[in-house]
Amino acid sequence: MESSEDDGGEPLSRLAEWRDVTPLPQDDGPNPVAPIAYKEEFRETMDYFRAIYKADERSPRALRLTRRAIHLNPGNYTVWHFRRLVLEALNSDLDEELDFIQRIANSNSKNYQLWHHRRWVVERLGTNARAKELHLIKSILSLDAKNYHAWSHRQWVLQALGGWEDELDYCQQLLEEDIFNNSAWNQRYFVVTRSPFLGGLTAMRASEVRYTVEAILANPNNECPWRYLRGLYKDDIELLVNNHEISSVCLKVINTKSDYIFALKMLLDLVCYGFQPCQEFRDAVVALWNSDSHPLDPDLATAICGILEHVDSMRASYWIWRKNKLPVAA
Amino acid sequence: MATRDPLDFDIGVEDDEDGTPSPSSISPPSSPPSYFDRDRHVAFFEMLYNLMPYHYQSQEINRLTLAFFTISGLHLLKALDRVDKDRVVSWVLSFQAHPRSQAESKNGQFYGFHGSRTSQFPPDENGVSVHDAGHLASTYCALAILKTVGFNMLTIDKESILISMRNLQQPDGSFMPVHVGAETDLRFVYCAAAICFMLEDWSGMDREKARDYILNCQSYDGGFGLMPGLESHGGGTYCAVASLRLMGYIEDDLLSKNATSSIINVSLLLDWCMQRQAIDGGFQGRANKSSDTCYAFWVGAVLRILGGYKFIDKIALRRFLLTCQSEYGGFSKYPSELPDLYHSYYGYTAFSLLEEPGLNPLCAELGMTDLAALVHCFLFFQTDQKCCITALTLTIFDLSTRLLCGEKTLHRNRSLGAVKILFSPHNLAISVLRVCGRCTTLIML
Repeated sequence: MESSEDDGGEPLSRLAEWRDVTPLPQDDGPNPVAPIAYKEEFRETMDYFRAIYKADERSPRALRLTRRAIHLNPGNYTVWHFRRLVLEALNSDLDEELDFIQRIANSNSKNYQLWHHRRWVVERLGTNARAKELHLIKSILSLDAKNYHAWSHRQWVLQALGGWEDELDYCQQLLEEDIFNNSAWNQRYFVVTRSPFLGGLTAMRASEVRYTVEAILANPNNECPWRYLRGLYKDDIELLVNNHEISSVCLKVINTKSDYIFALKMLLDLVCYGFQPCQEFRDAVVALWNSDSHPLDPDLATAICGILEHVDSMRASYWIWRKNKLPVAA
Repeated sequence: MATRDPLDFDIGVEDDEDGTPSPSSISPPSSPPSYFDRDRHVAFFEMLYNLMPYHYQSQEINRLTLAFFTISGLHLLKALDRVDKDRVVSWVLSFQAHPRSQAESKNGQFYGFHGSRTSQFPPDENGVSVHDAGHLASTYCALAILKTVGFNMLTIDKESILISMRNLQQPDGSFMPVHVGAETDLRFVYCAAAICFMLEDWSGMDREKARDYILNCQSYDGGFGLMPGLESHGGGTYCAVASLRLMGYIEDDLLSKNATSSIINVSLLLDWCMQRQAIDGGFQGRANKSSDTCYAFWVGAVLRILGGYKFIDKIALRRFLLTCQSEYGGFSKYPSELPDLYHSYYGYTAFSLLEEPGLNPLCAELGMTDLAALVHCFLFFQTDQKCCITALTLTIFDLSTRLLCGEKTLHRNRSLGAVKILFSPHNLAISVLRVCGRCTTLIML
């Protein structure tokens, strides 16, 4: 089988093992565009790969060659595809293959082909591979908690093989480490809405609102929980508007007079959705404004847009547009 | 010049690093460039067009993509004269996979374009092709290059491309890029839509299924993830919105049309996009991540398609992008790093969106110049019976009154007819300058 050590980078032309193979050079044609100045090791490895690939030789040495080629261009899906053909032909130990991928995963953690290959192997191993898989993904995420490929793979594993039981706790843990991690918030949403153990969005909504409100109060300048809160209601706008906890957290944050931009945005959206704010809200918004020469508009939504135009000035044009789109009071 | 992340035709999913910017990107450079250095960019891209340094060897499999970036980049920079168009055409066409028979065209393989000689083998003495297959992304790049250099697309054998492309579409509407199996996600839905659009033929895909897949990718926060359930992402959002636009499911400039019955949640999407412009003026790909040059295109183009690009802070964006401009030419992902081909290309598209003088205008839906993106439309005319048109001069402007197409002469002495002309895929105003004949009704389809 394949050795666990690399060939050592010895040129293939000098290895006895490859003496019978005529390397196949790349035929770039007479006038190639954007030619690449390949290094010798790359050129040689790919010349041998081409020869083996064309001959469709599915042997142990071919397997070793694909490893070498992968090392030099991990994005080459042809090489990965051929490796799979060889693995099948040799009836290779797929657990060993998982180990191989694991060894190169850290330096290739953002490589589509690697993750797809992993998925191919895991599909063949079935639910037995689940725990190992979820564990590997955790270790990748511990180095980069926002690795998109790792999250994509994790969602696939959960849906294909299960393992949902501890996932909400895992999200919780990641959020405790970094409440600003949008990937973790997204995963939380994924679990809450799809886990067969949790009862779905409607059942989870109340507890999720409480959790999210806490997160907001801890860091009101964090975009994630605000989006999450809105997301908990999807198209149930009436429920969103009627939940006092939501308007109340807006009020609380606005009253602190700091980090209130997202709170103002949420309040604006609520009003646009039909929320009827009492005087307390109006007073809180007015308290943010300290210009006597430019008094705030009596209409609350318009007033909020006016404030946002100044405090969220990067998006000033957007707030002006939103203000102009507000329904005119009868 | 090496990229940290493989290009891998990552047309949208350039995963950026975790939030904390390095110290060198926080403090301003000692003498920041204050202008878009077009000449240096042209020199940089011309160099790459002629020879790529060895750092790009790991991108060999995506050679066509690399070529697309250099050629389209030069076109954006109004420097296409550096490109030998005939040479490019014959080189690109040599990557097309051809079925040898009608039967073979239906054997499940994809007869598009290869990305590289690495995956392309001529048939052996027995006429057997080994592992011969095209790739969706390479096909998109191939067609985009051909359009850029003005190749007559009507001469392409599109039948085998389109028929075999249907094999790549999955039951859930998504697309696999190669028939032997690979990840399926929004990137390849986009490639498929762009391919059909450029070939002006939608028989290559089931648009409704693709639309449904796209809609399933809209996240709870309004953006789109690359697959259903995934975190909303600038690249995914671009693929989603551009595809819907190309397929005709959303109108151009949605925001000004007060569309309440759009198939996507536009207001949530718009708000998400707007929030992607960070405090440093650049655009981030996801909430709470660093600004990265390329998202000025991915997210900026979405805003352009929706009609909301006017809302961004262009001065702040420009300032950020210029901190990513390299003294060697090109752009880097983050301020004060080395440039790479991918971020350079998307830096140029971003500056085109900003309407930088000296750059060609951009077609946001296709990620290349407006001029390259021209497609055919029919213009019907009808006259009153007593007169007829012998010549018709049309002046066609896009919404910012840029002249796209000039005089067209029609058939003589016809009272009813049609002319096929090239349009930019945006709303256009047509003014008929001169008609030799008495009256006309013009209907555009």
